[in-house]
Amino acid sequence: MPANQPSALRHAQDNTFDFRLFVAAGLLLFSLAFSGWVNSRTPKPLSLTPSLTGQPEYCLTCHADLPEISPAHPVQVFGCVTCHGGERLALDADMAHSSIRGGANPSDLTVVSQSCGGEKCHSGAAAAGRDHIQRVQTSLQSTYAGAIATIRFTFGAQPDLTARLAIAAVADDRIETETGLSALAVFDTSTEDNPSIQKFSQNCLACHLNAAPREGQTYARYTGCASCHAFAPAGAWNSQQTPIHTLSTAIPYSQCNTCHNRGNYDLRTMTFVERSDQPADRLHNYYQPIAQFTRCEYSLDCVDCHTRIETMGDGDLHSNKKEIQYIQCKTCHGTPTELPLTKTLSELDDIAFRQAFLNPILVLKAGEVILVTEQGEPLWNTRVLKDGTYQMIGKVTKQVFTFRPVKGSACTQTGANQASAYCHQCHAVKR
Amino acid sequence: MTPISRRNFLKIAATSLLTASGAVGLGGLLRFIAYQSEQAPAIEFDLGPAANYPIGSRTIHPNIPAVLIHTESGFSAISLVCTHLGCTVETKDSGFSCPCHGSTYSKEGRLLSGPAVEDLDVWPVELKDNGRLLVRKTIVQPRG
Repeated sequence: MPANQPSALRHAQDNTFDFRLFVAAGLLLFSLAFSGWVNSRTPKPLSLTPSLTGQPEYCLTCHADLPEISPAHPVQVFGCVTCHGGERLALDADMAHSSIRGGANPSDLTVVSQSCGGEKCHSGAAAAGRDHIQRVQTSLQSTYAGAIATIRFTFGAQPDLTARLAIAAVADDRIETETGLSALAVFDTSTEDNPSIQKFSQNCLACHLNAAPREGQTYARYTGCASCHAFAPAGAWNSQQTPIHTLSTAIPYSQCNTCHNRGNYDLRTMTFVERSDQPADRLHNYYQPIAQFTRCEYSLDCVDCHTRIETMGDGDLHSNKKEIQYIQCKTCHGTPTELPLTKTLSELDDIAFRQAFLNPILVLKAGEVILVTEQGEPLWNTRVLKDGTYQMIGKVTKQVFTFRPVKGSACTQTGANQASAYCHQCHAVKR
Repeated sequence: MTPISRRNFLKIAATSLLTASGAVGLGGLLRFIAYQSEQAPAIEFDLGPAANYPIGSRTIHPNIPAVLIHTESGFSAISLVCTHLGCTVETKDSGFSCPCHGSTYSKEGRLLSGPAVEDLDVWPVELKDNGRLLVRKTIVQPRG
């Protein structure tokens, strides 16, 4: 400061400087205190280092209350990020979820390869039975090719019932069945002229594994693997508040019902009519589009008979479910002239053991005789007993059902006519 | 009591605020310096005196996890980590089985059934000069 400056001016300048210093010091303390306060609100991270990745994750800081998703996916081994994605070290919810895959459903088919894939997981070799993702993506439950082809044929948009289109474009470079197709193009509704086909596309495409789900948390898990394998406890399937963190192969019929018995198409208006009845018993709650049932059809759960290949596909693209759905009454009961097909379990690597391991309703042992389908798929929850009868254990109910072969009975039905309608003529229960 | 001038008040207040800021900042700095990052998983394990493991013994060490086997030909440690996806296998009468996906192994850790496609790892066991055993997970010992 110049020495000749008037003292009053110097005094005023000093005061201004002191005031500015005071404000700056106040702001500095406020900033530090505010930072400390924000930091104190951040939860103390709960760290988990899954053995599969060896990388710490903080997801359990907020999600420690979730139940283990399945014995085959222990959190100590897989952690959360392997399946769900996300920012593993973020403690802010928005940041942690910013790169999460598939929202509430990492098994959605748009992201399933990253979430569930891998050579040792669900996109491995077909020979090892680990090609789940490839099979599901080409299955009819995913492509919806049969319904699309039927509707387009019905309204004159294509000359036959061979599928050409699917919900999403899909190709198969390894055709292994006579009815397999090499590729399906995407069902582009904007190129369809017929109003009925357009209405079909607007109203009827939200219920298949590869479709965009209907809006709302209730429907968020009705795509991909979760459609079948993730479900809430019985009766809570439509609760928006129920956290669903379960994967299981013991799939109850009620889970199949969420798609296969949620209502029906009204073909005149081409709309989906939601089911309005509230059945009180299993017989009336069961798969309803076919009007008749034998006792075993509604006592058992769908997965007790229908196999993994039927439900998840055989890896080929098909035009109609008749090409892939082959379980008939005779698969378990045989015909008046033939006993059902059986197999003695000998190889420890037999997929029957793996299936029984994942749903331990029984202990399979080498040397046991089980029923198999005509394609050789093991019905691993069956046993051939020494007295010539058979046993089936419910995969969900664990009930034991004992039954006899048709051969040697009073049945006169020919082996060629084994579609359910023929058996229903004598064996259907009254509804 | 002598009234405090505006200038002195500002000086005292600013000094106090700066001191408090310094204390808060120092606290943060100390917290930063004292932060301990996640420790890398251990790769060496001291199993104690070799005399604790008589010939014929099979001792499970869950913290590794491995089973220490002492035979006439010496010590070996079989990993209890399933070679499929890394679950810890359980010991059974017939050997080992994986609780996650059902792979089974013989008592020697050889694969019996999948989905795993490889035997359990075998880690070398070193007998130190002080008579203690040391297992290193860094090297997988080839099977004989």
